Amino acid sequence: MKRTRKKTMSKTIVNVVLAFICLIWLIPTVGLLVSSFRPAVDILQTGWWTVFPHRDYVTQSTITLPKDTDLRQPIEVNGEVFDDDQLRSGVTAQDGSRLIWENRRARTIQVQQPDWKVNTNFTLENYNGVLTGKSFEIMQADGTIKAQKGEGLSKAFLNTMVVTIPSTIIPILIATFAAYAFAWLRFPLRRSMFVAVIMMLVVPLQVALIPILKDYTALGLNGSYLGIWIAHTGFGLPLTIYFMYTFISQLPKDLFESAFMDGASNFTIFTRLILPLSVPAIASIGIFQFLWVWNDYLVSLVFIGSQPDVQVMSMRIAAMVGSKGSDWHLLTAAAFVSMLMPLTVFFALQKYFVRGLLGGSVKG
Amino acid sequence: MNDKGMGLLKKPFKFGYTLMLSMVLIMALLVAACSSGSGGSNSTASEEAPATATPEASTEATKEPAGNADGSPLEQALAGNYKGTKVSMFGPFVDVDQVKFEESIKAFEEQTGIDIQYEGSKEFEATISIRIDGGNAPDISDFPQPGLLANFVKSGKVIDVSQFLDADKLKGNYNQSWLDMATMEGPNGSIMAGVWNRSSVKSLVWYPKKEFDDAGYTVPKTWDELLALTEQIAADGDPAWAIGIESGAATGWPATDWIEDIMLRTTTPENYDKWVKGELPFTDPVVKNAFEKLSQIWLNDDYVYGGRKSIVTTAFGDSVTPMFDHPPKAWLHRQASFITSFFPEGLKSGEDYDWFYLPSIDEAYGNPVLVAGDLYAMHNDRPEVRAVMEFFTTGESIKTWVQSGGVIAPMNDASLDWYPTDVERRMGELVKNASTLRFDGSDLMPGSVGAGTFWKGTTDYISGTVDLDGALKEIQSGFNN
Repeated sequence: MKRTRKKTMSKTIVNVVLAFICLIWLIPTVGLLVSSFRPAVDILQTGWWTVFPHRDYVTQSTITLPKDTDLRQPIEVNGEVFDDDQLRSGVTAQDGSRLIWENRRARTIQVQQPDWKVNTNFTLENYNGVLTGKSFEIMQADGTIKAQKGEGLSKAFLNTMVVTIPSTIIPILIATFAAYAFAWLRFPLRRSMFVAVIMMLVVPLQVALIPILKDYTALGLNGSYLGIWIAHTGFGLPLTIYFMYTFISQLPKDLFESAFMDGASNFTIFTRLILPLSVPAIASIGIFQFLWVWNDYLVSLVFIGSQPDVQVMSMRIAAMVGSKGSDWHLLTAAAFVSMLMPLTVFFALQKYFVRGLLGGSVKG
Repeated sequence: MNDKGMGLLKKPFKFGYTLMLSMVLIMALLVAACSSGSGGSNSTASEEAPATATPEASTEATKEPAGNADGSPLEQALAGNYKGTKVSMFGPFVDVDQVKFEESIKAFEEQTGIDIQYEGSKEFEATISIRIDGGNAPDISDFPQPGLLANFVKSGKVIDVSQFLDADKLKGNYNQSWLDMATMEGPNGSIMAGVWNRSSVKSLVWYPKKEFDDAGYTVPKTWDELLALTEQIAADGDPAWAIGIESGAATGWPATDWIEDIMLRTTTPENYDKWVKGELPFTDPVVKNAFEKLSQIWLNDDYVYGGRKSIVTTAFGDSVTPMFDHPPKAWLHRQASFITSFFPEGLKSGEDYDWFYLPSIDEAYGNPVLVAGDLYAMHNDRPEVRAVMEFFTTGESIKTWVQSGGVIAPMNDASLDWYPTDVERRMGELVKNASTLRFDGSDLMPGSVGAGTFWKGTTDYISGTVDLDGALKEIQSGFNN
């Protein structure tokens, strides 16, 4: 009895702590989500948290001072004396109300009382701008205004899919073959080749950009999907091979032995045993690679560029804020649109993800 | 059981951790060595490249006059000789600017059959270096910062446009100041590195016109009047200036524009040029004087909306909004012509807002105008690229863009009638009639200063973390990098 109570106690504490950490973790995202539904002007003036009921000062009345009040001298309001700085930042009068300038020029002061307040000004405009494209108004020579729709995210969304899916499947396919070979087959130079692959993990991909670009220019691969698939495959392989290797090398050897005894070839072992058994690992490295490629900006910037027919979403979103960044408020909505796909993938593969992370750590 | 024939191992083989770790460390060292090594070999490659590239260019240049017999590249293009060819172009403007640009070249594309494939990227400055070094240079690139272009000219990666453009025509169509600004030092002497296309004026002070008139203020004609107006507005109860210099990684640039404008008004254009080249140090009294003039307004909490502290934390684009509150909370904002795109929607130019010329400080230096603009440079020499470059020297190439508002045409054959509003027409006039035209200095300085210590040092000074002398020393140190 005692023990179970103790157990529930500690469980509750763990849960509370976890919930708290989750909350802290989620706050920025929630803020972003709320902001994405707010008009740009509101975002500039008040924080996103003001959409929740909060205590704030509400103006009860205004006092108009004589026009010729000298602002650099102490100012008398309702029999009390304040200076300009106090009135700028707001000052509490004796009756508990707060006094603050409404308009210094007109010499009007607001008398405020604290009260509950909710900010409920929401709009779908940001999402509209992101999904269907902004509308530009272009003045014509004859003075008429031509409205033109800019590019939305839909084309870029498809482009990103076309880039991401092969860039996830190809490296994982190669890596699984390679990992099987490294773990279970004998062939010359296996050890040194594996070490070479591991060493690639520490090479920052930035050093490879210009040399690869030169080769691509020679091969005519710049700005093509094939080029970026190869690039992402290359950059992703070391980690994927290493990850798959650690998993596959942990599989029980007896399985393969008996399969081999029954006359299975390496390929049969691979397709019938290795692949089904390593689904959790494939799923979790798949999520990694998918997220990495989906969110990638640098590699696409260099190898695929910003021609509208191939442009990926991360670049399209960056372009949406405009040359001078005047449309920054669209970023909030765009971020959520671009988040949809990774979230879907994550939740679809999530149960494998946890299993995959534990893969190899618990034997039994 | 004998595993020899199985092809399978008894156990997955394991690596010793020491071996693995040492290999990784060795690899890390190798990479470090390679990156510095390749940097070295890159620079030699780029030194060799021009030596091999220029003879080709010059032989083509000598070939060209023969072909010129039947007209300039543009005339040939208009005659339809380059139909079906493609010209790639890469530049920093995206979104609405891109739409307007494409609109302005549409007629040319239809007439000549040349397809100009424009690609805009927010990361132009970073990408263009990778592209050019990677041998994937676009035919034409659009540099808003001539200082950056100068680097590529130095390494011989840019084609001299004066080889095929008629010098007299250019002189007739551009203010000499523009042509001087396009002339840069290449590996084999100075070349004309590109042609100017769209430009913007910087010496403008914006104000909410209707409220401004209603309040009984008048547009100041001299610096003293400007200070008097500032003081009057302060006495009336508002800070006069709306100032914000926050701009992400580029925080501080609006402040450098102010300094440049003040420099032009307190010293000779020659001194300004020397300053930009680094021959007149920031620590010189002349430059210090400009910073002190700035401080008179900026560091006075009564004059700036939100006070000195808020200057560095307010985004430059958001800083204008208090001017359009009812009644305005701030009254004046010095910024280039593009700032209108940050104004709240629905304002009418000429009624709700207008601008006046930032008045001169010392009459001895006339009415200088600070400008910025885009220099179109050429990387691949093909006849159709030449034709497009020549097209960009004509006012026609930017006509519809001017008509839709937001840019100023630097060419003389661009008619003032094209501007959609009086507000913009007066900017066109200002540029055309300027006694001295100077380019935004921070865009001309080496990147380590113009896009580095100048921004940072000024920001530090404004925020109050260093004193003026310390800030000037900090900025100057950028020239040594």
